[in-house]
Amino acid sequence: MPNYRRLFRGDGTPKVPTVSSAIDSVRQAIQDRKELLVIYFNFDRYTKIEEIYGWEKLDEILHTTSAAIREFLATSPFASSEVMVNFTNDDDFVLFHIPPANIAVPNADVITDLTAKLHQHIAHRIEEEHGEDIASLFDTFVGSAHIHYDPKIRLERQIYRAIRDAASSSNSVEQREFARKAADLRETLRTGGLYIDYHPIVVTETQEIFGFEALARGTLKSMRRPEVMFEVAEQTDMIWELSRLCRNTAISGMKEKLTRNQLLFINVDPHDFTDPMFTDMDMDVTDPTKVVLEITERTAIRDYPKFRGRLKEFRDRGYRFAVDDAGSGYAGLGSIANLEPNFIKLDISLINCIDVNFIKQSLVEKMVGFGNDQNAMVIAEGVETAEEYETVKQLGVHLVQGFYLHPPEPERPVKATPA
Amino acid sequence: MKMTDPSLPSILVVDDNEDNANIIRDYLEARGYPISVAYDGDEAMAMFGSVKPSIVLLDVMMPGRDGWQVCREMKASPMGRDIRVIMVTALQDWMDKRQALETGADDYVEKPFELAKLASVVERNAAQLAQKTR
Repeated sequence: MPNYRRLFRGDGTPKVPTVSSAIDSVRQAIQDRKELLVIYFNFDRYTKIEEIYGWEKLDEILHTTSAAIREFLATSPFASSEVMVNFTNDDDFVLFHIPPANIAVPNADVITDLTAKLHQHIAHRIEEEHGEDIASLFDTFVGSAHIHYDPKIRLERQIYRAIRDAASSSNSVEQREFARKAADLRETLRTGGLYIDYHPIVVTETQEIFGFEALARGTLKSMRRPEVMFEVAEQTDMIWELSRLCRNTAISGMKEKLTRNQLLFINVDPHDFTDPMFTDMDMDVTDPTKVVLEITERTAIRDYPKFRGRLKEFRDRGYRFAVDDAGSGYAGLGSIANLEPNFIKLDISLINCIDVNFIKQSLVEKMVGFGNDQNAMVIAEGVETAEEYETVKQLGVHLVQGFYLHPPEPERPVKATPA
Repeated sequence: MKMTDPSLPSILVVDDNEDNANIIRDYLEARGYPISVAYDGDEAMAMFGSVKPSIVLLDVMMPGRDGWQVCREMKASPMGRDIRVIMVTALQDWMDKRQALETGADDYVEKPFELAKLASVVERNAAQLAQKTR
Protein backbone atom coordinates (compact mmCIF):
# COMPACT_ATOMS: atom_id res chain seq x y z
CA MET A 1 0.00 0.00 0.00
CA PRO A 2 1.61 3.26 -1.04
CA ASN A 3 1.97 5.69 1.80
CA TYR A 4 1.55 8.99 -0.03
CA ARG A 5 -1.76 9.13 1.81
CA ARG A 6 -1.53 12.87 2.19
CA LEU A 7 -1.39 13.34 -1.57
CA PHE A 8 -4.77 14.98 -1.80
CA ARG A 9 -7.68 15.19 0.51
CA GLY A 10 -10.37 12.56 0.16
CA ASP A 11 -12.64 14.80 -1.88
CA GLY A 12 -9.94 15.48 -4.41
CA THR A 13 -9.59 19.11 -3.48
CA PRO A 14 -5.89 19.70 -3.63
CA LYS A 15 -5.70 21.74 -0.44
CA VAL A 16 -2.85 19.70 0.90
CA PRO A 17 -0.33 20.39 3.67
CA THR A 18 1.96 23.37 3.46
CA VAL A 19 5.62 22.73 2.71
CA SER A 20 6.69 23.46 6.29
CA SER A 21 4.22 21.06 7.89
CA ALA A 22 5.14 18.44 5.30
CA ILE A 23 8.83 18.83 6.14
CA ASP A 24 8.07 18.16 9.79
CA SER A 25 6.29 14.97 8.91
CA VAL A 26 9.17 13.57 6.84
CA ARG A 27 12.13 15.04 8.78
CA GLN A 28 13.11 11.84 10.54
CA ALA A 29 12.78 9.70 7.41
CA ILE A 30 15.08 12.04 5.44
CA GLN A 31 17.63 12.15 8.23
CA ASP A 32 17.64 8.34 8.32
CA ARG A 33 17.75 7.76 4.56
CA LYS A 34 19.98 10.78 3.86
CA GLU A 35 18.59 11.23 0.38
CA LEU A 36 15.53 12.93 -1.01
CA LEU A 37 14.13 13.42 -4.47
CA VAL A 38 11.96 16.52 -4.89
CA ILE A 39 9.65 16.41 -7.88
CA TYR A 40 7.87 19.58 -8.95
CA PHE A 41 4.70 19.30 -11.05
CA ASN A 42 3.15 22.26 -12.80
CA PHE A 43 -0.25 21.69 -14.40
CA ASP A 44 -0.45 24.42 -16.98
CA ARG A 45 -3.76 26.04 -17.94
CA TYR A 46 -5.87 24.62 -15.12
CA THR A 47 -6.80 28.22 -14.40
CA LYS A 48 -7.87 28.54 -18.04
CA ILE A 49 -10.32 25.68 -17.50
CA GLU A 50 -11.85 27.58 -14.58
CA GLU A 51 -12.00 30.75 -16.66
CA ILE A 52 -13.82 29.01 -19.50
CA TYR A 53 -16.01 26.44 -17.78
CA GLY A 54 -16.31 27.72 -14.20
CA TRP A 55 -15.10 26.39 -10.87
CA GLU A 56 -17.48 23.42 -10.74
CA LYS A 57 -15.83 21.98 -13.84
CA LEU A 58 -12.35 22.68 -12.54
CA ASP A 59 -13.22 20.90 -9.28
CA GLU A 60 -14.33 17.85 -11.26
CA ILE A 61 -11.11 17.93 -13.28
CA LEU A 62 -8.94 18.28 -10.17
CA HIS A 63 -10.78 15.30 -8.73
CA THR A 64 -10.02 13.26 -11.86
CA THR A 65 -6.41 14.50 -11.80
CA SER A 66 -5.81 13.51 -8.19
CA ALA A 67 -7.32 10.06 -8.77
CA ALA A 68 -5.18 9.62 -11.90
CA ILE A 69 -2.01 10.64 -10.04
CA ARG A 70 -2.75 8.23 -7.18
CA GLU A 71 -3.43 5.44 -9.66
CA PHE A 72 -0.25 6.12 -11.59
CA LEU A 73 2.05 6.51 -8.61
CA ALA A 74 0.82 3.32 -6.98
CA THR A 75 2.51 1.25 -9.67
CA SER A 76 5.56 3.47 -10.19
CA PRO A 77 8.94 3.60 -8.47
CA PHE A 78 7.48 6.57 -6.54
CA ALA A 79 5.01 4.33 -4.71
CA SER A 80 6.91 4.94 -1.49
CA SER A 81 6.74 8.73 -1.79
CA GLU A 82 5.98 10.25 1.54
CA VAL A 83 3.95 13.34 0.90
CA MET A 84 2.71 15.69 -1.75
CA VAL A 85 2.06 19.33 -1.04
CA ASN A 86 0.69 22.12 -3.14
CA PHE A 87 3.22 24.84 -3.42
CA THR A 88 2.25 28.31 -4.59
CA ASN A 89 -1.06 27.73 -6.32
CA ASP A 90 -3.61 25.01 -6.87
CA ASP A 91 -1.81 24.06 -10.06
CA ASP A 92 1.66 23.29 -8.84
CA PHE A 93 2.59 20.48 -6.54
CA VAL A 94 5.69 19.11 -4.93
CA LEU A 95 6.26 15.42 -4.26
CA PHE A 96 8.82 14.37 -1.67
CA HIS A 97 10.17 10.96 -2.59
CA ILE A 98 12.32 9.21 -0.04
CA PRO A 99 13.58 6.05 -1.68
CA PRO A 100 13.18 2.88 0.38
CA ALA A 101 16.39 1.58 1.96
CA ASN A 102 18.73 -0.17 -0.49
CA ILE A 103 16.84 1.13 -3.52
CA ALA A 104 18.52 3.77 -5.63
CA VAL A 105 16.90 7.12 -6.38
CA PRO A 106 15.49 6.99 -9.93
CA ASN A 107 17.85 8.72 -12.37
CA ALA A 108 16.97 11.66 -14.63
CA ASP A 109 16.05 9.44 -17.61
CA VAL A 110 13.69 7.37 -15.49
CA ILE A 111 12.07 10.54 -14.15
CA THR A 112 11.65 12.04 -17.64
CA ASP A 113 10.13 8.82 -18.89
CA LEU A 114 7.81 8.52 -15.90
CA THR A 115 6.63 12.10 -16.09
CA ALA A 116 5.82 11.75 -19.80
CA LYS A 117 3.80 8.65 -18.95
CA LEU A 118 2.15 10.42 -16.02
CA HIS A 119 1.08 13.26 -18.29
CA GLN A 120 -0.35 10.76 -20.79
CA HIS A 121 -2.15 8.92 -18.01
CA ILE A 122 -3.74 12.09 -16.62
CA ALA A 123 -4.67 13.30 -20.12
CA HIS A 124 -6.20 9.90 -20.91
CA ARG A 125 -8.30 9.90 -17.72
CA ILE A 126 -9.42 13.50 -18.29
CA GLU A 127 -10.32 12.67 -21.89
CA GLU A 128 -12.35 9.63 -20.76
CA GLU A 129 -14.29 11.61 -18.18
CA HIS A 130 -14.44 15.14 -19.62
CA GLY A 131 -13.77 14.87 -23.36
CA GLU A 132 -10.90 15.51 -25.73
CA ASP A 133 -11.41 19.28 -25.80
CA ILE A 134 -10.56 19.69 -22.14
CA ALA A 135 -7.82 17.04 -22.17
CA SER A 136 -5.96 18.79 -24.96
CA LEU A 137 -6.11 22.13 -23.17
CA PHE A 138 -3.63 21.50 -20.39
CA ASP A 139 0.03 20.52 -20.14
CA THR A 140 2.05 19.01 -17.32
CA PHE A 141 5.59 20.22 -16.74
CA VAL A 142 7.80 18.37 -14.34
CA GLY A 143 11.21 19.07 -12.87
CA SER A 144 13.19 17.31 -10.19
CA ALA A 145 16.08 17.85 -7.83
CA HIS A 146 18.01 15.24 -5.89
CA ILE A 147 19.51 16.14 -2.52
CA HIS A 148 21.89 14.35 -0.20
CA TYR A 149 21.08 15.35 3.33
CA ASP A 150 23.79 17.47 4.91
CA PRO A 151 23.38 17.68 8.72
CA LYS A 152 25.36 20.96 8.80
CA ILE A 153 22.69 22.77 6.79
CA ARG A 154 19.19 23.30 8.07
CA LEU A 155 16.89 20.74 6.42
CA GLU A 156 14.28 23.36 5.52
CA ARG A 157 16.87 25.34 3.57
CA GLN A 158 18.02 22.25 1.68
CA ILE A 159 14.46 21.38 0.77
CA TYR A 160 13.45 24.88 -0.32
CA ARG A 161 16.57 25.08 -2.49
CA ALA A 162 15.70 21.72 -4.03
CA ILE A 163 12.14 22.87 -4.73
CA ARG A 164 13.51 26.00 -6.40
CA ASP A 165 15.86 23.89 -8.54
CA ALA A 166 13.10 21.45 -9.44
CA ALA A 167 10.75 24.33 -10.38
CA SER A 168 13.47 25.89 -12.48
CA SER A 169 14.14 22.62 -14.31
CA SER A 170 10.39 22.33 -14.93
CA ASN A 171 10.51 25.87 -16.39
CA SER A 172 13.22 24.77 -18.81
CA VAL A 173 11.01 21.91 -19.92
CA GLU A 174 8.15 24.39 -20.34
CA GLN A 175 10.35 26.71 -22.41
CA ARG A 176 11.47 23.84 -24.65
CA GLU A 177 7.85 22.81 -25.10
CA PHE A 178 6.88 26.38 -25.90
CA ALA A 179 9.62 26.65 -28.54
CA ARG A 180 8.28 23.44 -30.09
CA LYS A 181 4.74 24.85 -30.14
CA ALA A 182 5.94 28.13 -31.67
CA ALA A 183 7.58 26.08 -34.45
CA ASP A 184 4.31 24.16 -34.89
CA LEU A 185 2.42 27.43 -35.19
CA ARG A 186 4.81 28.74 -37.85
CA GLU A 187 4.34 25.45 -39.72
CA THR A 188 0.54 25.86 -39.42
CA LEU A 189 0.69 29.41 -40.82
CA ARG A 190 3.04 28.40 -43.63
CA THR A 191 1.00 25.40 -44.79
CA GLY A 192 -2.47 26.68 -43.87
CA GLY A 193 -2.74 23.65 -41.60
CA LEU A 194 -6.17 24.35 -40.18
CA TYR A 195 -9.58 22.84 -40.42
CA ILE A 196 -12.86 24.21 -39.17
CA ASP A 197 -15.27 22.55 -36.77
CA TYR A 198 -18.68 24.05 -37.47
CA HIS A 199 -20.68 23.91 -34.24
CA PRO A 200 -24.43 24.13 -34.82
CA ILE A 201 -26.44 26.84 -33.07
CA VAL A 202 -30.09 25.85 -32.88
CA VAL A 203 -33.39 27.56 -32.16
CA THR A 204 -34.28 26.53 -28.61
CA GLU A 205 -37.96 25.95 -29.22
CA THR A 206 -37.82 24.11 -32.56
CA GLN A 207 -34.25 22.74 -32.51
CA GLU A 208 -33.82 23.92 -36.12
CA ILE A 209 -30.29 24.86 -37.11
CA PHE A 210 -29.99 28.64 -37.01
CA GLY A 211 -26.30 28.87 -37.86
CA PHE A 212 -22.83 27.56 -37.13
CA GLU A 213 -19.96 28.77 -35.03
CA ALA A 214 -16.66 28.27 -36.86
CA LEU A 215 -13.99 26.89 -34.54
CA ALA A 216 -10.54 26.67 -36.08
CA ARG A 217 -8.34 23.75 -35.13
CA GLY A 218 -4.79 23.06 -36.17
CA THR A 219 -4.07 19.81 -37.95
CA LEU A 220 -0.94 19.39 -35.84
CA LYS A 221 -1.74 17.72 -32.54
CA SER A 222 -0.28 20.50 -30.41
CA MET A 223 -2.40 23.05 -32.29
CA ARG A 224 -5.68 21.16 -31.92
CA ARG A 225 -7.09 23.43 -29.25
CA PRO A 226 -7.79 27.01 -30.50
CA GLU A 227 -7.04 28.48 -27.04
CA VAL A 228 -3.55 26.96 -27.14
CA MET A 229 -2.96 28.08 -30.73
CA PHE A 230 -3.97 31.66 -29.92
CA GLU A 231 -1.98 31.71 -26.69
CA VAL A 232 1.17 30.74 -28.60
CA ALA A 233 0.34 33.26 -31.33
CA GLU A 234 -0.08 36.02 -28.77
CA GLN A 235 3.26 35.32 -27.13
CA THR A 236 5.09 35.11 -30.46
CA ASP A 237 3.38 38.13 -31.99
CA MET A 238 1.69 36.12 -34.74
CA ILE A 239 -1.88 36.84 -33.68
CA TRP A 240 -2.94 38.81 -36.77
CA GLU A 241 -1.54 36.15 -39.11
CA LEU A 242 -3.33 33.39 -37.24
CA SER A 243 -6.60 35.33 -37.05
CA ARG A 244 -6.49 36.01 -40.80
CA LEU A 245 -5.91 32.34 -41.56
CA CYS A 246 -8.73 31.25 -39.25
CA ARG A 247 -11.18 33.80 -40.66
CA ASN A 248 -10.37 33.03 -44.28
CA THR A 249 -10.55 29.26 -43.76
CA ALA A 250 -13.92 29.58 -42.00
CA ILE A 251 -15.32 31.87 -44.69
CA SER A 252 -14.12 29.74 -47.58
CA GLY A 253 -15.96 26.75 -46.07
CA MET A 254 -19.24 28.58 -45.49
CA LYS A 255 -20.48 28.21 -49.06
CA GLU A 256 -20.68 24.43 -48.66
CA LYS A 257 -21.84 24.48 -45.06
CA LEU A 258 -24.65 27.02 -44.94
CA THR A 259 -28.09 26.60 -46.37
CA ARG A 260 -30.39 29.55 -46.97
CA ASN A 261 -31.01 31.76 -43.91
CA GLN A 262 -28.31 30.13 -41.82
CA LEU A 263 -25.61 32.32 -40.33
CA LEU A 264 -21.88 31.86 -39.81
CA PHE A 265 -20.49 32.95 -36.43
CA ILE A 266 -16.78 33.79 -36.48
CA ASN A 267 -14.68 34.55 -33.40
CA VAL A 268 -12.91 37.87 -33.56
CA ASP A 269 -10.65 39.28 -30.89
CA PRO A 270 -10.98 43.03 -30.19
CA HIS A 271 -7.26 43.31 -31.07
CA ASP A 272 -8.05 42.06 -34.59
CA PHE A 273 -9.77 45.38 -35.24
CA THR A 274 -6.38 47.08 -35.10
CA ASP A 275 -5.12 44.84 -37.94
CA PRO A 276 -5.05 46.96 -41.11
CA MET A 277 -5.84 43.81 -43.09
CA PHE A 278 -9.04 43.13 -41.20
CA THR A 279 -11.55 44.88 -43.41
CA ASP A 280 -14.58 43.87 -45.36
CA MET A 281 -12.44 44.18 -48.51
CA ASP A 282 -9.96 41.61 -47.23
CA MET A 283 -12.60 39.02 -46.52
CA ASP A 284 -14.10 37.02 -49.35
CA VAL A 285 -17.66 37.33 -48.11
CA THR A 286 -20.34 37.61 -50.76
CA ASP A 287 -23.19 38.26 -48.33
CA PRO A 288 -22.08 40.01 -45.11
CA THR A 289 -25.59 39.72 -43.64
CA LYS A 290 -24.89 36.01 -43.17
CA VAL A 291 -21.81 36.63 -41.04
CA VAL A 292 -21.84 37.30 -37.30
CA LEU A 293 -18.61 38.52 -35.74
CA GLU A 294 -18.29 37.22 -32.17
CA ILE A 295 -16.35 39.50 -29.86
CA THR A 296 -15.28 38.18 -26.50
CA GLU A 297 -16.13 40.20 -23.42
CA ARG A 298 -12.95 38.94 -21.76
CA THR A 299 -10.48 41.08 -23.65
CA ALA A 300 -10.21 44.65 -22.47
CA ILE A 301 -10.89 47.17 -25.22
CA ARG A 302 -8.34 49.97 -25.01
CA ASP A 303 -9.63 52.67 -27.33
CA TYR A 304 -13.39 52.46 -27.14
CA PRO A 305 -14.39 55.26 -29.56
CA LYS A 306 -12.03 53.91 -32.25
CA PHE A 307 -13.27 50.38 -31.64
CA ARG A 308 -16.88 51.46 -32.00
CA GLY A 309 -15.93 53.25 -35.22
CA ARG A 310 -14.51 50.00 -36.64
CA LEU A 311 -17.62 48.09 -35.60
CA LYS A 312 -19.76 50.66 -37.41
CA GLU A 313 -17.82 50.14 -40.66
CA PHE A 314 -18.63 46.45 -40.54
CA ARG A 315 -22.19 47.01 -39.36
CA ASP A 316 -22.83 49.41 -42.26
CA ARG A 317 -21.77 46.67 -44.67
CA GLY A 318 -24.34 44.32 -43.14
CA TYR A 319 -22.27 42.27 -40.69
CA ARG A 320 -23.85 41.45 -37.36
CA PHE A 321 -22.22 41.19 -33.94
CA ALA A 322 -22.34 38.85 -30.98
CA VAL A 323 -20.87 39.44 -27.54
CA ASP A 324 -19.14 36.21 -26.54
CA ASP A 325 -18.68 35.03 -22.93
CA ALA A 326 -21.29 37.54 -21.77
CA GLY A 327 -21.62 37.67 -18.01
CA SER A 328 -18.16 36.24 -17.40
CA GLY A 329 -17.01 39.28 -15.50
CA TYR A 330 -18.37 41.71 -12.99
CA ALA A 331 -18.98 44.41 -15.57
CA GLY A 332 -22.69 43.68 -15.74
CA LEU A 333 -24.94 44.59 -18.60
CA GLY A 334 -23.69 48.11 -19.36
CA SER A 335 -20.55 46.98 -21.18
CA ILE A 336 -22.63 44.62 -23.31
CA ALA A 337 -25.11 47.37 -24.21
CA ASN A 338 -22.18 49.53 -25.39
CA LEU A 339 -21.43 47.08 -28.20
CA GLU A 340 -25.07 47.06 -29.41
CA PRO A 341 -24.90 43.34 -30.18
CA ASN A 342 -27.41 41.42 -32.28
CA PHE A 343 -26.61 38.30 -30.25
CA ILE A 344 -25.52 37.77 -26.65
CA LYS A 345 -23.67 34.54 -26.02
CA LEU A 346 -23.77 33.59 -22.37
CA ASP A 347 -20.59 32.56 -20.64
CA ILE A 348 -20.35 28.75 -20.41
CA SER A 349 -19.84 28.91 -16.64
CA LEU A 350 -23.41 30.26 -16.31
CA ILE A 351 -24.84 27.27 -18.19
CA ASN A 352 -22.85 24.48 -16.56
CA CYS A 353 -25.22 22.90 -13.95
CA ILE A 354 -27.74 25.74 -14.37
CA ASP A 355 -30.55 23.28 -13.64
CA VAL A 356 -29.44 22.96 -10.02
CA ASN A 357 -28.20 26.50 -9.37
CA PHE A 358 -30.88 29.10 -8.84
CA ILE A 359 -28.45 32.02 -8.84
CA LYS A 360 -27.35 31.13 -12.39
CA GLN A 361 -31.02 30.88 -13.36
CA SER A 362 -31.64 34.35 -11.99
CA LEU A 363 -28.66 35.79 -13.92
CA VAL A 364 -29.69 34.14 -17.18
CA GLU A 365 -33.29 35.27 -16.75
CA LYS A 366 -32.04 38.80 -16.31
CA MET A 367 -29.87 38.55 -19.43
CA VAL A 368 -32.83 37.26 -21.47
CA GLY A 369 -34.92 40.24 -20.31
CA PHE A 370 -32.07 42.54 -21.26
CA GLY A 371 -31.70 40.85 -24.66
CA ASN A 372 -35.41 41.24 -25.34
CA ASP A 373 -35.24 44.94 -24.43
CA GLN A 374 -32.21 45.46 -26.68
CA ASN A 375 -33.63 43.38 -29.53
CA ALA A 376 -30.73 40.92 -29.22
CA MET A 377 -31.05 37.14 -29.24
CA VAL A 378 -29.51 35.29 -26.30
CA ILE A 379 -27.48 32.13 -26.95
CA ALA A 380 -26.67 29.50 -24.32
CA GLU A 381 -23.39 27.82 -25.14
CA GLY A 382 -22.16 24.55 -23.63
CA VAL A 383 -25.57 22.92 -23.12
CA GLU A 384 -24.60 19.32 -22.38
CA THR A 385 -27.57 17.73 -20.62
CA ALA A 386 -31.33 17.44 -21.05
CA GLU A 387 -31.77 19.22 -17.71
CA GLU A 388 -29.65 22.18 -18.77
CA TYR A 389 -31.54 22.35 -22.08
CA GLU A 390 -34.96 22.30 -20.39
CA THR A 391 -33.89 24.97 -17.91
CA VAL A 392 -32.59 27.43 -20.51
CA LYS A 393 -35.69 26.78 -22.60
CA GLN A 394 -37.93 27.66 -19.65
CA LEU A 395 -35.91 30.80 -19.02
CA GLY A 396 -36.63 31.98 -22.56
CA VAL A 397 -33.12 31.66 -24.02
CA HIS A 398 -33.55 32.03 -27.79
CA LEU A 399 -30.75 29.85 -29.17
CA VAL A 400 -28.64 26.99 -27.81
CA GLN A 401 -25.37 25.38 -28.68
CA GLY A 402 -23.78 22.31 -27.14
CA PHE A 403 -23.17 18.60 -27.16
CA TYR A 404 -26.65 17.77 -25.86
CA LEU A 405 -28.28 18.58 -29.21
CA HIS A 406 -25.26 18.01 -31.42
CA PRO A 407 -22.58 15.63 -30.16
CA PRO A 408 -19.09 16.40 -31.41
CA GLU A 409 -18.22 14.97 -34.79
CA PRO A 410 -15.61 12.20 -34.82
CA GLU A 411 -12.12 13.60 -34.49
CA ARG A 412 -10.16 14.06 -37.65
CA PRO A 413 -6.79 12.37 -37.81
CA VAL A 414 -4.04 14.62 -36.57
CA LYS A 415 -0.54 15.02 -37.89
CA ALA A 416 2.29 14.37 -35.55
CA THR A 417 4.55 17.29 -34.82
CA PRO A 418 7.26 17.53 -37.48
CA ALA A 419 10.65 16.40 -36.22
CA MET B 1 -41.60 19.11 22.12
CA LYS B 2 -40.43 19.74 18.56
CA MET B 3 -42.14 17.63 15.91
CA THR B 4 -39.65 17.28 13.09
CA ASP B 5 -40.10 15.23 9.96
CA PRO B 6 -37.06 12.95 9.50
CA SER B 7 -37.67 12.80 5.75
CA LEU B 8 -36.99 16.54 5.48
CA PRO B 9 -33.41 17.84 5.18
CA SER B 10 -31.77 19.33 8.24
CA ILE B 11 -31.11 23.06 8.11
CA LEU B 12 -28.45 25.20 9.77
CA VAL B 13 -29.62 28.81 10.13
CA VAL B 14 -26.75 31.30 10.48
CA ASP B 15 -27.57 34.88 11.46
CA ASP B 16 -25.92 37.23 13.95
CA ASN B 17 -29.28 38.87 14.59
CA GLU B 18 -30.82 36.58 17.20
CA ASP B 19 -34.37 37.75 16.56
CA ASN B 20 -34.10 36.98 12.84
CA ALA B 21 -32.48 33.61 13.47
CA ASN B 22 -35.14 32.61 15.98
CA ILE B 23 -38.02 33.70 13.74
CA ILE B 24 -36.62 31.63 10.87
CA ARG B 25 -36.00 28.68 13.18
CA ASP B 26 -39.55 28.72 14.60
CA TYR B 27 -41.12 29.13 11.16
CA LEU B 28 -39.20 26.30 9.51
CA GLU B 29 -39.43 24.05 12.56
CA ALA B 30 -43.20 24.41 12.42
CA ARG B 31 -42.96 23.00 8.88
CA GLY B 32 -41.15 19.94 10.14
CA TYR B 33 -37.52 20.79 9.27
CA PRO B 34 -34.88 19.80 11.82
CA ILE B 35 -33.18 23.14 12.61
CA SER B 36 -29.92 24.21 14.25
CA VAL B 37 -28.91 27.83 14.75
CA ALA B 38 -25.50 29.54 14.77
CA TYR B 39 -25.07 33.22 15.59
CA ASP B 40 -21.76 33.96 13.85
CA GLY B 41 -19.38 32.56 11.24
CA ASP B 42 -17.09 30.73 13.65
CA GLU B 43 -19.98 29.03 15.40
CA ALA B 44 -21.46 28.17 11.98
CA MET B 45 -18.24 26.40 10.93
CA ALA B 46 -18.08 24.49 14.21
CA MET B 47 -21.72 23.40 13.93
CA PHE B 48 -21.30 22.55 10.26
CA GLY B 49 -18.87 19.81 11.29
CA SER B 50 -20.92 18.51 14.20
CA VAL B 51 -24.52 18.86 12.95
CA LYS B 52 -23.76 18.01 9.27
CA PRO B 53 -26.75 19.94 7.84
CA SER B 54 -28.10 19.38 4.34
CA ILE B 55 -29.10 23.01 3.81
CA VAL B 56 -27.43 26.12 5.20
CA LEU B 57 -29.32 29.41 5.35
CA LEU B 58 -26.52 31.91 5.55
CA ASP B 59 -26.73 35.60 6.37
CA VAL B 60 -24.01 37.57 4.57
CA MET B 61 -23.38 40.52 6.90
CA MET B 62 -21.89 39.13 10.08
CA PRO B 63 -19.03 40.31 12.26
CA GLY B 64 -15.83 38.22 11.94
CA ARG B 65 -16.07 35.63 9.20
CA ASP B 66 -18.82 36.92 6.92
CA GLY B 67 -21.30 34.78 5.01
CA TRP B 68 -19.22 34.76 1.80
CA GLN B 69 -16.20 33.37 3.63
CA VAL B 70 -18.28 30.81 5.52
CA CYS B 71 -19.86 29.68 2.25
CA ARG B 72 -16.47 29.36 0.57
CA GLU B 73 -15.13 27.26 3.44
CA MET B 74 -18.19 25.03 3.62
CA LYS B 75 -18.16 24.41 -0.12
CA ALA B 76 -14.42 23.63 -0.10
CA SER B 77 -14.89 21.01 2.61
CA PRO B 78 -15.39 17.32 1.80
CA MET B 79 -19.12 17.69 2.58
CA GLY B 80 -19.36 20.72 0.28
CA ARG B 81 -20.62 18.79 -2.73
CA ASP B 82 -23.62 17.43 -0.85
CA ILE B 83 -25.01 20.57 0.75
CA ARG B 84 -27.09 23.43 -0.54
CA VAL B 85 -26.12 26.90 0.60
CA ILE B 86 -28.75 29.63 0.43
CA MET B 87 -27.42 33.14 0.96
CA VAL B 88 -29.75 35.48 2.83
CA THR B 89 -28.96 38.89 1.42
CA ALA B 90 -30.02 41.51 -1.05
CA LEU B 91 -28.26 40.37 -4.24
CA GLN B 92 -29.58 43.17 -6.33
CA ASP B 93 -27.08 43.69 -9.05
CA TRP B 94 -25.12 41.53 -11.41
CA MET B 95 -21.91 41.84 -9.42
CA ASP B 96 -23.49 40.57 -6.18
CA LYS B 97 -24.82 37.49 -7.92
CA ARG B 98 -21.51 36.76 -9.65
CA GLN B 99 -19.78 37.01 -6.30
CA ALA B 100 -22.31 34.64 -4.77
CA LEU B 101 -21.62 32.14 -7.58
CA GLU B 102 -17.90 32.31 -7.00
CA THR B 103 -18.27 31.46 -3.34
CA GLY B 104 -20.17 28.34 -4.42
CA ALA B 105 -23.66 29.39 -3.26
CA ASP B 106 -26.64 27.57 -4.75
CA ASP B 107 -29.45 30.02 -4.12
CA TYR B 108 -30.38 33.22 -2.36
CA VAL B 109 -33.26 34.90 -0.56
CA GLU B 110 -33.46 38.64 -0.85
CA LYS B 111 -33.62 40.63 2.34
CA PRO B 112 -36.05 41.75 3.62
CA PHE B 113 -37.99 38.58 2.84
CA GLU B 114 -41.42 37.23 3.51
CA LEU B 115 -41.39 33.94 5.37
CA ALA B 116 -43.51 32.31 2.68
CA LYS B 117 -40.87 33.22 0.09
CA LEU B 118 -38.17 31.80 2.35
CA ALA B 119 -40.13 28.55 2.66
CA SER B 120 -40.48 28.24 -1.11
CA VAL B 121 -36.74 28.76 -1.61
CA VAL B 122 -35.99 26.14 1.04
CA GLU B 123 -38.47 23.75 -0.60
CA ARG B 124 -36.89 24.05 -4.06
CA ASN B 125 -33.47 23.29 -2.62
CA ALA B 126 -34.85 20.38 -0.60
CA ALA B 127 -36.35 19.09 -3.87
CA GLN B 128 -32.90 19.29 -5.51
CA LEU B 129 -31.37 17.30 -2.67
CA ALA B 130 -34.13 14.67 -2.88
CA GLN B 131 -33.56 14.36 -6.63
CA LYS B 132 -29.83 13.91 -6.14
CA THR B 133 -30.21 11.11 -3.61
CA ARG B 134 -32.91 9.33 -5.61
